Amino acid sequence: MEKGKSGLRGAGIFVTVAMISILSMGLGVRGVPPSSDDADKVRADMITIDYLKTFGKLERPAVVFLHDKHTAALEKQNKDCTTCHLSENNRLGPKFKRLKDTHKTEVMDIFHTQCIACHRETAANEEKSGPVSCGDCHKEEITIRSSRQPMGMDKSLHYRHAKAHDNKCEKCHHEYNEQTQKLYYQQGKEGTCRYCHGKTTEEKKVSMRLAAHLSCIDCHRKTLEKNQSAGPVDCSGCHELQEQKMIEVVQKVPRIKRNQPDIVFVKKIGSVDEISNPKTQARMKAVPFSHVAHEDYNDSCRVCHHADLNACASCHTLTGSKEGEQIKLEQAMHNLNAEQSCLGCHQINQQEKQCAGCHASLEQRRKRGEETCLTCHMTALNENTGNTSRADEKALAAKLLDSRVAVTASYKDADVPEKVVIDGLMNQYKAVDLPHRKIVHTLAGNIKDNKLANYFHSDVGTICQGCHHNSPLSTQPPKCASCHGRPFDPDQPLRPGLMAAYHSQCMECHKEMGIKKPVATDCSGCHKEK
Amino acid sequence: MSISRRKFLGWLAAAGLSTSVTRTARAATTQHFTGYPDSVGVLFDNTRCIGCRKCEAGCNKVNELAAPDQPFDDLAVLDNQRRTSARSYTVVNRYDQVNYLKGPLYRKIQCNHCLEPACASACFVRAFAKSKIGAVTYDETVCVGCRYCMIACPFEIPTYEYDNAITPRVMKCTLCYPRISKGLLPGCVESCPTEALTYAKREDLLQIARERIRRFPQRYVDHIYGEHEMGGTSWLYLSAVPFRQIGMREDLGVTPAPELTAGALSGVPIVVGMWPVLLTGIYAISKRKEKLASEEKELAVTTAVEQAEAAAEAKLAEALAQADEEKKKAIDIEVQKALEEAARPETEEAEKSETEEDS
Repeated sequence: MEKGKSGLRGAGIFVTVAMISILSMGLGVRGVPPSSDDADKVRADMITIDYLKTFGKLERPAVVFLHDKHTAALEKQNKDCTTCHLSENNRLGPKFKRLKDTHKTEVMDIFHTQCIACHRETAANEEKSGPVSCGDCHKEEITIRSSRQPMGMDKSLHYRHAKAHDNKCEKCHHEYNEQTQKLYYQQGKEGTCRYCHGKTTEEKKVSMRLAAHLSCIDCHRKTLEKNQSAGPVDCSGCHELQEQKMIEVVQKVPRIKRNQPDIVFVKKIGSVDEISNPKTQARMKAVPFSHVAHEDYNDSCRVCHHADLNACASCHTLTGSKEGEQIKLEQAMHNLNAEQSCLGCHQINQQEKQCAGCHASLEQRRKRGEETCLTCHMTALNENTGNTSRADEKALAAKLLDSRVAVTASYKDADVPEKVVIDGLMNQYKAVDLPHRKIVHTLAGNIKDNKLANYFHSDVGTICQGCHHNSPLSTQPPKCASCHGRPFDPDQPLRPGLMAAYHSQCMECHKEMGIKKPVATDCSGCHKEK
Repeated sequence: MSISRRKFLGWLAAAGLSTSVTRTARAATTQHFTGYPDSVGVLFDNTRCIGCRKCEAGCNKVNELAAPDQPFDDLAVLDNQRRTSARSYTVVNRYDQVNYLKGPLYRKIQCNHCLEPACASACFVRAFAKSKIGAVTYDETVCVGCRYCMIACPFEIPTYEYDNAITPRVMKCTLCYPRISKGLLPGCVESCPTEALTYAKREDLLQIARERIRRFPQRYVDHIYGEHEMGGTSWLYLSAVPFRQIGMREDLGVTPAPELTAGALSGVPIVVGMWPVLLTGIYAISKRKEKLASEEKELAVTTAVEQAEAAAEAKLAEALAQADEEKKKAIDIEVQKALEEAARPETEEAEKSETEEDS
């Protein structure tokens, strides 16, 4: 009997231990919940302090520092930026209490002593303060996510700045002289900062991030000190999405004067002799291009002028050059994936709601007929037309653009049926009364003011092809059932059957255009039940 | 028991023969099954699905399943995530917030008709079988209701009629096997108004899917789910967003389920064949050793006893002899003494008088 008792006890202990280990494993599997105060915080002012990386591998995890939190706290104590930032060349430096990262221990000591001392002081004054112990700053698990949105100048913001500075470009724009190693202002050479200041800091050329922060924020700060209105000085003011949306946008921005042309030809750049010589002239017809109109269409110059403010063909030559990174003129103009190329930007415009209804179901890289080239490539510049001065060339370009018809041509109403009865498949539902003319008018009305659309839809009946596809332009397009029949035909694997053709033609367009009514799942909304 | 060399070699041969009886271990080799030729499949394209649930209705009608609690045109059921049940071979789930610009996305859940099904591999009565046309079929007449198939399925599809007390069945999409054998379309495919479900030979479906991705690269994630997952399935999926966002497992790997277990299972015949022989042999040897040891011990004991007895007897004889001798000697001495005594009185008296005179 004693043996049995000890056996029972052993079993009981075993069961208890097993239960505890299983339950604790279950808890472990679910993970430790993040600490409640920082959990799921998304902030635009999140800075990761890992500058000791330049001296070797970090011994402790990088520290997450919330800049706006600190500026707000210092403001309450009536302290300003100079509390942490040292001055250099009459400007505040970007680093904390130092001008250069000198030595590993020095930098570490600056952070440790200065940060912790201030935290201790604030805590001594009975105010909410930051951490003082190692693990509270050097956290293993970072629960804050950065919501920093990139920031840049656009036309409207630039206009507001120029106005505030009385159009004195030299306040911001500068060039750099390598010999004298000095900055100077050159009129007529202004461009975006990003043409020189790139992603990383190089010798004598800080990164765009540093340049923007040093110049912009410093100027804002000084202006605010003079009690004038200025831009933001805190992180979220520029980088928080909501704040960006609140930036005042000037609708009609006067044209920036930078000696840019109004209307030019996009063509291989060459001398007048080259152009008139049949051996050296370009073979493709030149493209007249309205620079002034495109300035309106874009928010900034660097959308197209991604490297400098010269003509595209100066770097992107016919057969490629080193400056253009061997990207030829044809690729630069036709690349569907690059926003700075003509076709790339036009392609992006096709994703607008009014266009996407038809264009989303058109294969992007489909083979196009040669006549589409001629929409842009309008004239050959040869000995008949090219042997002229630049001014004459521009006049010719302007004339060609005027001659181009920019109107979406539709058939007359008499040719467009008002109602079309779709009764090809009537199984569970009755025929569909399609308000055909209303749809055509809506589509045409949506793009009436869109010059890009109008140029390309200038052949009459082009927009009909959005639905009446894979057939020639006509007032009597073939019935859907002429091509669409039984589904899953192995000879035509990509052609839907008739029911799916009807349904997806309408439903896809509605989905792309964001049309809420009729709802795709509301069958009787389009055809009554039998 | 003593075993002769011949017998031992015979046992060894029998054990070796038993290992060659196995057949199933072949799955754990370099073979890669890409489906029966001309087997069919279905391609689900979630950019076309509008979540109308007509597929569920079609399936219900064609398979004569029980009527659901809510009618099929009630789209409010999509507010919850559902899974297949004993009354529905297929359900549609809605996923909001994944495709921000265009609206919610939908996914149809049903048996994926794997090329090498885990359910068929787990079933020890062959209730599940992969048919040549591609459907994984279920034979309710042999099913014992162990539900190993439900545990084995990586997609958690088979369900069980727990409410049916007498003849419960495992319920799972059959790819409308009777219909497709007659050349008809599966019930769900026929009902879909937008052809989100495409029915064709599996190899053609892969071509169609690839062509769709090629033509509209911005519309689809560049992956056909089911092409390789779990060794390949007959039901393929195209999606506008990563598959894990529409509730599909991306951690399944490309090894078919039977291959995962074939290694361990192939060891069973060897164990069953070899171990009894081995263990019996060891037992026999140790038993014989014991016997030999006990025999030896007995022998040693008896010899020792005999020896001891003999030694004891010898000693006894010696002692007796010695005693005899001593007795004899004693007798001799006594006789001598008596003789001396007898001869002494004359001399003694003479001595006595002498001594008396002296004193």
